Amino acid sequence: MRSERLRLLLRDLTAGAAFGAMAISGQVPLWTMAVFLVALLLALAGRRPLSDGKLSAILLLLAVVLVYGAVLLEELGLVVAACITASLLTAQRLVSRPTGRTTDQVQLVSLLMIAGGAVLSADLLFALCLFVYAVLAVLAQGLSVVAEVPGGPLPPTGRVLRPLAVGVVLSLVGALTLFVLFPRLSWNVAARRAGASLGGATTGFADGLRLGGTGLLKSNPRVVFRARIDPDPGTEELDAYWVGRRFDVFDGVQWSSAGTRGGPSRQVLLGPTGPNLVRQEIDLLPAYGSRTLVALDTPVRFGDAESHQTTFSIRTEIYPSGDREVRLVGASEHVTYRAFSAVERGRLPSVSPAERARRLQLPQGLDPRIPALAEVLAEGAVGDRAIARQIERALQSRYAYTLELPGRVKDPLADFLFDRRAGHCEDFATALAVLLRTRQIPARVVVGFHGGERAAGEYLVRAGDAHAWVEAAVDDYVLRLDATPPQHRSAAGIGIAGWLLARWEALQIRWLDRVVEYSLSDQNRMVQRVRWKMGENPASPTSRRPDEGVAVALAVLAAAFLLAVLVGRRAASNDPAELGRRLSRLLRRGGRLGPKGWLDGARVDEVKLGPVREGIARYREARFGRRPLLPGEGRRLVRQARRALRGLVSPSAPGPRRPTFRA
Amino acid sequence: MSARRERLLRAWRRFWRPPRRLRTTPAGRTYLVLTVGVGLGALNTGNNLLYLVLGLQLSLVVVSGILSELCVRRVQIRRLLPGSPRARTPFHLAWGLRLPRGQAFALSVREVHPLLGSAVGQLAWLPSGEEVVVRAVATAHRRGPMQLHAVRVSTRFPFGLFEKSRDLELPGELLVLPGRMPARAEPPSPTSGLGLEQRSLRGPDGGGDLAQLRELRDGEDARRIHWRKSAQLGTLLRVERDAQPQPRIVLQLDDRAPAEALDVTCEELAARAELLLARGAEVGLESAGGVSVKPGTGAFHTQAILRALARAGHPGKAG
Repeated sequence: MRSERLRLLLRDLTAGAAFGAMAISGQVPLWTMAVFLVALLLALAGRRPLSDGKLSAILLLLAVVLVYGAVLLEELGLVVAACITASLLTAQRLVSRPTGRTTDQVQLVSLLMIAGGAVLSADLLFALCLFVYAVLAVLAQGLSVVAEVPGGPLPPTGRVLRPLAVGVVLSLVGALTLFVLFPRLSWNVAARRAGASLGGATTGFADGLRLGGTGLLKSNPRVVFRARIDPDPGTEELDAYWVGRRFDVFDGVQWSSAGTRGGPSRQVLLGPTGPNLVRQEIDLLPAYGSRTLVALDTPVRFGDAESHQTTFSIRTEIYPSGDREVRLVGASEHVTYRAFSAVERGRLPSVSPAERARRLQLPQGLDPRIPALAEVLAEGAVGDRAIARQIERALQSRYAYTLELPGRVKDPLADFLFDRRAGHCEDFATALAVLLRTRQIPARVVVGFHGGERAAGEYLVRAGDAHAWVEAAVDDYVLRLDATPPQHRSAAGIGIAGWLLARWEALQIRWLDRVVEYSLSDQNRMVQRVRWKMGENPASPTSRRPDEGVAVALAVLAAAFLLAVLVGRRAASNDPAELGRRLSRLLRRGGRLGPKGWLDGARVDEVKLGPVREGIARYREARFGRRPLLPGEGRRLVRQARRALRGLVSPSAPGPRRPTFRA
Repeated sequence: MSARRERLLRAWRRFWRPPRRLRTTPAGRTYLVLTVGVGLGALNTGNNLLYLVLGLQLSLVVVSGILSELCVRRVQIRRLLPGSPRARTPFHLAWGLRLPRGQAFALSVREVHPLLGSAVGQLAWLPSGEEVVVRAVATAHRRGPMQLHAVRVSTRFPFGLFEKSRDLELPGELLVLPGRMPARAEPPSPTSGLGLEQRSLRGPDGGGDLAQLRELRDGEDARRIHWRKSAQLGTLLRVERDAQPQPRIVLQLDDRAPAEALDVTCEELAARAELLLARGAEVGLESAGGVSVKPGTGAFHTQAILRALARAGHPGKAG
């Protein structure tokens, strides 16, 4: 009884894991989730109210009709409808009286749900659900098969679980091996792109930067992009600025950019290229959610952008937009590109008077206390550079950093500088830019990321690393100024849950890279790596060229096929029905079969046809009597019959044709 | 064909014999359809997660093969045939299963025989080191010897998707005795074709009550000596008893009759023989085909007659 409960528990949890694999996609309707969860809870509590299931089957049929009706009305996708059907069917089976047949059905429909989850979701959670499903399904089905056998006492559960545990390990290893080796030759006629995973995109680049609100992004640990930097800085924590957008027009509440859009191309140059550029290969992940490209400060060139689809990658174009911003043409959830940045901040390129005027523009109705404050903060400093640095330091030291903001206010800048005296990076950057402008120093706000955490030779940048700072034009040079206190420039403290989420995100990246985006080119690379390793040690007796290996593998496959064919024929040679079929075939060719094409009444009376008669007699004995055919006997009888029939003229066949002559 | 060539041929055939048979269960068929579906879906969409699911499904098929092989590979078996199975009467086939090491689950056992294959014994668990007897109920519809060649051990473990079978060669013979039928009260007439009977009464040296004692003559059976009286009188005396009324009957069988008719005849003779033997008669059997059982009584003799009747009309070992 206890083992029965365990078996059902495992079965129900298997179905739960399979449903979870679909549900994490967020595409399964809420009502379906509710129905399934209720059924699962009832089953786990041992309540299975459906005995014969006729009514529930009718209801189920009705629901399926409605679901597919919704498909016809284009309210639901076909895949989602199939998933809903599988969920409802599983739910119905879960609360039905448990039998061996029900268990088989639950397992098979769970497999359908897993396949549905694979289509709907690309999240790492799917891997977790698949793993749980595989483990539980093997255990539940194994226990069920043993429990259904009527003979003898049932074994202790532990005894059965032992080989099943071996089965679980072998299944998982085998699944991974087959996954890696299965050739990725896709017809690609019905590809469906999975979503960005739970939580959606989080970067939040917008066309404008509006002050006020809260800084929730700062506490978000999701990795939004990763970058491989050459030359490698080698540090664990990168102290660098990733430039995204620049804003130079401020209306008192919101920053915006006044630049124009350029034409699309494969490459965008933002400044003079030269030696000592830092090369970056940047991988924008689905969580990034923006078309703006980022690069280390100061980017001078963007190019080689590729958009990665499920089965292929295509080159995509980019274009300059706004103030030295570069964007992708078209949206894509996974993009890689190369960027080059100048480490040394160069001389300011010539700017037009209009551009300079924009960078000095102050909002109308600027609080008069702000210029006065700028004067106070710059007191004693000589020269624009010194003034800028002094104001930057003053803001860093006199104002506090906080993410808890009161929401929208009428003048957020004055509120930050004179009332709350606390804010986040956008407040600090805005304050610094406006204060500098009051001192006639051109300045603009830059939005991007700060920092980077090293992982496997790359730097991971999180949504919480989003940052804002200031670029000022000082003495014909671009000066980067950051008024935000240094300890608050990167992701905010995220606690244990955040730490766990961060680890999860790191795993998610590997999952996307190694599994979801695994492709034929990866397989080619793997083969080449193997070939290279073999070529490295040609003297080794075990090393063999891959071509030879392929030839050997093909030969083994051919031999196995031949063996299977021979074994199949061998097995058939002891089957009396097969003997009858072969004899019938031989006799039909000779026109000697009896009436209705049966062996009974076959015309085999000639003396020479003794072996045929013997074959027919043995066929009858083996099929209807009590003397089964001995191994190989059927084949021998057929051979003898064929020999006997060879050369004999069919009794019904016309005689040899005589030549005819026409006059 | 020389013996050497025959041996070589046998070895060659044994080499090519399929070591295992694999049958797909209904659930297994659905599973395979799903696997093909997922495979087509993976090829169609290039979705790597579908490839992962496909890998798991194929891997489960392989694992199923491995675990089921572990179950049937080392099973040792011996056949426990029933003593006197009768045609048309259910009887127990039994097999003793043993596993030197490891353990096996969800086993089923059957004879590799077209008429007995439907009798399946099942066993949930076979632990190592001990013999477990598995029984199945079988029914043979006709009398006669059944040549048994092998026993098939199958398992659906671990997933119930496939049934893997292993045939263990185990030659043997199951002799099915004629089926039971009510015996006629009167012996059949000589012209009935069902069998002729010879009736004889015993002489004065029968097995009845003591009639007299007399001197033993030369050549007489020494077992008839009454030793106590002989010792008292100093001469060898022999016992003479009254003749017994029990008949000595030799049943005559015409085993050249067609198979169906011969079966009926054998069953009727078997019923008659059992009835007569139960009444104390000495019953024998003779046939034109050379079957001969001398008259006798007792349970063993009954079996001898039934066995002879079971083999009547079948070439090979006589009863």
